[in-house]
Amino acid sequence: MGHGDKGRPSKKHKSSSKDVQKSVMMEDDEAAYYVEGFDDDHRDDDRGEGKKRDFSNLELKPDHVNRPLWACADGRIFLETFSPLYKQAYDFLIAIAEPVCRPESMHEYNLTPHSLYAAVSVGLETETIISVLNKLSKTKLPIEMIEFIRASTANYGKVKLVLKKNRYFVESPFPEVLKKMLRDEVIAKARLTNECLGEDGFSISKGLHELESGHNGLLDEAELAAAEEKESHSFEIDPAKVENVKERCLPANLNYPMLEEYDFRNDTVNPDLDMELKPHAQPRPYQEKSLSKMFGNGRARSGIIVLPCGAGKSLVGVSAAARIKKSCLCLATNAVSVDQWAFQFKLWSTIRDEQICRFTSDSKERFRGNAGVVVTTYNMVAFGGKRSEESEKIIEEIRNREWGLLLMDEVHVVPAHMFRKVISITKSHCKLGLTATLVREDERITDLNFLIGPKLYEANWLDLVKGGFIANVQCAEVWCPMTKEFFAEYLKKENSKKKQALYVMNPNKFRACEFLIRFHEQQRGDKIIVFADNLFALTEYAMKLRKPMIYGATSHAERTQILEAFKTKRDVNTIFLSKVGDNSIDIPEANVIIQISSHAGSRRQEAQRLGRILRAKGKHQDRMAGGKEEYNAFFYSLVSTDTQEMYYSTKRQQFLIDQGYSFKVITSLPPPDSGADLSFHRLDEQLQLLNKVLVAGDDAVGLEQLDEDADDIALHKARRFSGSMSAMSGANGMVYMEYNAGRGKFGHGHAKSKPKDPTKRHQLFKKRFG
Amino acid sequence: MVNAIKGLLISCDIPMAQFIINLNSSLPASQKFIIYKLDNTHLFVQPTVGEMIRSAISEFRDQNSYEKPA
Repeated sequence: MGHGDKGRPSKKHKSSSKDVQKSVMMEDDEAAYYVEGFDDDHRDDDRGEGKKRDFSNLELKPDHVNRPLWACADGRIFLETFSPLYKQAYDFLIAIAEPVCRPESMHEYNLTPHSLYAAVSVGLETETIISVLNKLSKTKLPIEMIEFIRASTANYGKVKLVLKKNRYFVESPFPEVLKKMLRDEVIAKARLTNECLGEDGFSISKGLHELESGHNGLLDEAELAAAEEKESHSFEIDPAKVENVKERCLPANLNYPMLEEYDFRNDTVNPDLDMELKPHAQPRPYQEKSLSKMFGNGRARSGIIVLPCGAGKSLVGVSAAARIKKSCLCLATNAVSVDQWAFQFKLWSTIRDEQICRFTSDSKERFRGNAGVVVTTYNMVAFGGKRSEESEKIIEEIRNREWGLLLMDEVHVVPAHMFRKVISITKSHCKLGLTATLVREDERITDLNFLIGPKLYEANWLDLVKGGFIANVQCAEVWCPMTKEFFAEYLKKENSKKKQALYVMNPNKFRACEFLIRFHEQQRGDKIIVFADNLFALTEYAMKLRKPMIYGATSHAERTQILEAFKTKRDVNTIFLSKVGDNSIDIPEANVIIQISSHAGSRRQEAQRLGRILRAKGKHQDRMAGGKEEYNAFFYSLVSTDTQEMYYSTKRQQFLIDQGYSFKVITSLPPPDSGADLSFHRLDEQLQLLNKVLVAGDDAVGLEQLDEDADDIALHKARRFSGSMSAMSGANGMVYMEYNAGRGKFGHGHAKSKPKDPTKRHQLFKKRFG
Repeated sequence: MVNAIKGLLISCDIPMAQFIINLNSSLPASQKFIIYKLDNTHLFVQPTVGEMIRSAISEFRDQNSYEKPA
């Protein structure tokens, strides 16, 4: 599913049972007979599988043609995107289920406990979920699914932790749940009982009306009935013990995970921040929708919003801040994006210059006034070592302040322990995480559910492309055959550490790259970004082609200068970026990406890189389907055939394929007649290059190491990449400026000032000092 | 007098020829199977090794292709 027009010769043509079953579901009864026959044949070898995936006994409703989705007993849901009810069904499904794969005409979703938790937290109730699902499903809902929903949602969202006028309340519409909680010793101790109480011993307030209008029409009666006239019971707890109470409520203990909400309108303790969205800031429909999930009942919920890169995440962030109108702490991943966020705040809102300040190692602006926006990086806040006096003061202010909103950019890149630290340092009423790619190779995404909150909204990439909100990208994989000499070296055992360098420096790849750059620069006047993870390759390519490049060691000032030149000058049309450019460097001008080497099989990196060119360009009507320029952005991934890169490349594409993208395979680049126009035409030049690769030290051809990489175990378990001693000791200097102070604390633990272990001393020194 | 050697003609692309050559050189002298390297894309080998080469190549290709876990 979703392989699009990628005609890769699959070795064992796997007509997986999934596909079979899908086709069964597309057709009706006739196909059901077929599947029975199919099962008979295979009964012996895959009985368990067949049994689990045989849905032929599901009962079709008579009017199934009008209903858009199929619900299967194992929690999977398939949605027909051509159904007239698609839009409503999509909005509903995205709230209750995790999207697995979303190609053009058929989407696959999966119900998981986490997704149901998210559903409950945006205000959907168990019975509402079941009844709406039943309404949309072509078949009668399988009992297993109903039971699963009941079981997973039984406890979620029953209890809320609300901060009102700086007092913490545990709130729930179900007094029996509160009673049960109070039987727990820890919680009973944390309770404050000096208020006038209702009949149950809880203070009762008439519930707030759910303002949500997202699912109108479909949810009508059921939801309205549930949302109206809801009484909520609550008791107050000691602010000092909030952490303990929260912990008691986690699934491991009482299993009533608490939702956190912030009643910002009634917060009179924290000073208001005078900021409004400017009139020209018009949130797009999907941005509105994601905000409505966040502010559904007039309070602010914590959670994560997932939007593709370039779809305007920053406007969502700024709008959220403008709606809450309290002090806001905005966290970004690096200094460049700190500048960009500060700029976005000024661009979209009426915030005054003195109300916003940046806090990085380069610019430490002091915070004035009693409310404002501070933009900084995760590292600056989480850093635990010694700071300069100036930044110590600022961090002290950040610590002591009560923040209305903690806005976290690119939440997928930050390791969990750093999050814990940031969240424990900063007191915030509401946390909003923003990201484009909620995938990680190390599966630590689920941590975010409890650290920040559930996923509130996730946009469908293809719908945004169709709406013209993001660029329509042509993705292509360019197959470059290895040359004879390079491949011979590649196969040799003694070169196993240089494999990557060999397939990246493949002369055919270089020529393809040079050809593409020339074509796009000269024929189309495009702006091109070339990505290379391998520093050796990056420098070789950039030097040979005489183009500017940015990598870890490039100083902030130089980066800004190069990016500025790329944006404005007509003769600077191509830049080379190492993986420092993967995230959040905003280069709206670029519309072509050529990727010559990458971080193994990281799906996230692929998607983030694509994100660099997703910002929509040109006139709106030209971009719509059938417009003048159907494709206006190009994403090339250059792959050396018959090498490991093929494996990685396919793996990397999975995320984008799941979003509905398809990769076109190009085999004849550069065209055979290009000859001596391009570099490395002659054999002796190629051999010279080969020699250079072979002579270079193992550490020089390895991957660039950045402090950011602490996450993401993208590599195959059995595979090892050459580590580099000089990088470990910091001799390469490939570190961000702002991290200099923090080294040794997180990331790869640079062994700069580690006290020497006497047992590890060289023999010679042992004698001397021993 | 004409000297005839029975063998197998392999024609393949450049990288695969290199792969077979590398395979050949990794074996002990008694098991070497390449009789002549005709050019970049053609090899003349012992008649018995066809299956062995096939399976070595398919294993190599398996390593380099990714299948989405179901």
